Amino acid sequence: MTTAELIYQSITSLANPTELAWIEEKRDADAKGLALAFVMVPRKVSKTPIQKDLGLLTGWNWQHGTVDQLVRVYFLLQLADKQEGKSQIETLFDTAEMNELVALYRALPALIKPEIWLHRATDAVRSNMGPVFDAIAFGNPYPKTYFSELAWNQLVLKCIFNDKPIHLIEGLDERANQALADTLADFAQERWSAGRRVPSQVWRLIREFDTKSKKQDLERLAASPDPNDQIAAQLVLNYSPLEAWKVLEKEETAY
Amino acid sequence: MCQNPNDYPLNPSHFEGSSEEKQTAQEVEGGFAAYTKGMKFFDPHVHMTSRTTDDYQALADAGVVAIIEPAFWLGQPRTGLASFKDYFASLVGWERFRSSQFGIKHYCTIGLNSREANNEALAEEVMDILPLFLQKEGVVGVGEIGFDDQTAAEEKYYRAQLELAKEMNLPVQVHTPHRDKKKGTERSMAIALEHGLAPHMVVIDHNNEETVKSVLDQGFYAAFTIYPFTKMGNERMVEIVKQYGSERIMVNSAADWGISDPLAIPKTAALMKIKGISEADIQKVTYQNALDSFAQSGQINEADFIHGLEIDQSLKFNGNTVLRGGQAPRVDKNSIFIR
Repeated sequence: MTTAELIYQSITSLANPTELAWIEEKRDADAKGLALAFVMVPRKVSKTPIQKDLGLLTGWNWQHGTVDQLVRVYFLLQLADKQEGKSQIETLFDTAEMNELVALYRALPALIKPEIWLHRATDAVRSNMGPVFDAIAFGNPYPKTYFSELAWNQLVLKCIFNDKPIHLIEGLDERANQALADTLADFAQERWSAGRRVPSQVWRLIREFDTKSKKQDLERLAASPDPNDQIAAQLVLNYSPLEAWKVLEKEETAY
Repeated sequence: MCQNPNDYPLNPSHFEGSSEEKQTAQEVEGGFAAYTKGMKFFDPHVHMTSRTTDDYQALADAGVVAIIEPAFWLGQPRTGLASFKDYFASLVGWERFRSSQFGIKHYCTIGLNSREANNEALAEEVMDILPLFLQKEGVVGVGEIGFDDQTAAEEKYYRAQLELAKEMNLPVQVHTPHRDKKKGTERSMAIALEHGLAPHMVVIDHNNEETVKSVLDQGFYAAFTIYPFTKMGNERMVEIVKQYGSERIMVNSAADWGISDPLAIPKTAALMKIKGISEADIQKVTYQNALDSFAQSGQINEADFIHGLEIDQSLKFNGNTVLRGGQAPRVDKNSIFIR
């Protein structure tokens, strides 16, 4: 089965008969009709939380998604296959309200030729709208697969900068790299100078790399009054496996 | 204005209250919040794009829980479709998000304003993209549209947008002109009826003492803009509610890039309370009527904001969002420290 077919199968178990009838009527529309149907979804389909793993693509987490989002993604997949699909999707991006942007970014990994949307995906990382950033950053395999190292590092850094939990990023450990470790060591130093801190789990991104200040940083963490910092120091020093970092996978304050 | 303390006793041009009321009004100057505790307000016309975060904070503190931002003239004429498109997108996108950070639910109306309807080549292009925006979530009507100079082009696009509203079953927010107001208002209503719009789907805005009777008699909603110097003062507004009651009447601030006051609604509510208007009537003109009229779009769910802005499940990922607990962290403005 194609991803679109799998999504439709999930939708049939999540939507009610009235919603399904509307979806079936619209999915065969032309490109313009599909784009309009995408916009109209919240008028026709509920925002019921999905709250389960749909098993669609690896790393594509729908546990925190809603039914209207999934239906929007389904329409986008239909639209992307059409001849005018790309230009219609560009227009949807250009005119999108916030929930539409979330659905657009959620859809990227499943679209035909996902790589052509890279410029949009990096725009989402620049967004100051929390939900839009979250849509590309969390439970979405797109960045891991298509982002350059520079774009990837920007995503992780912005996530930390905005005090969001990095463990929700797909591919976090696989794409750890020296440049990011160096930047994060500098960033932690900046935060310390300002009387603030970085969440303890950030140090997992530094563990296998040498940074200029690694020794002093670990000493500082080990001596920290914050038990989470002490744990992070121990995990790095002991070369603990990634599973051991699970205890630090949570939101922490920046002060 | 007519409340200049120097000539007030000799020349009560609009305010004809008793000497007791006058005394009260002088005593309570400046402390409106004491009279509006526990009240919630809905401002159906405010241009937040032109306002600062301080205004959002003040609105939230004063009990404004929901607002409608009509598309309007930004002061600088637009020269291309792209700037219209980006403006409409910002009303459903960035501005909506900015508002949510202060715990205020933001809706908008989308339309081609009367002034820029006079640039016909551009107006045609704008008409093409309107249907797409009018279908979007949280777009509660077509607005603000109507007459400014009352030109043929203004009439043409007013009519075309009334047709769109009818087709999509959306309320209409009608701007009435500053100049030749009475005629402009009558003409706006006659054209809306001619196009078969139900009067209860049309909010006639910027009314005054001269226009209100006809608007109400014909079954339209009558909105009043409390805006210093050019529109209504709130003392005049109190007199209007005393005379006409609270049915289908609503107040708004229309605060924008001019000298205007985003707190116009809570201040007017305070004045109404001081002057003896019942809380039920105050609630209707500062909240309920705005809600009822624009909820006809099917796009307003009062439960989303009446108990504070709940985090929409669709905006939330694993409990993580900028809106922690529904509000961004507050800054104590009196603190010397900036952290």
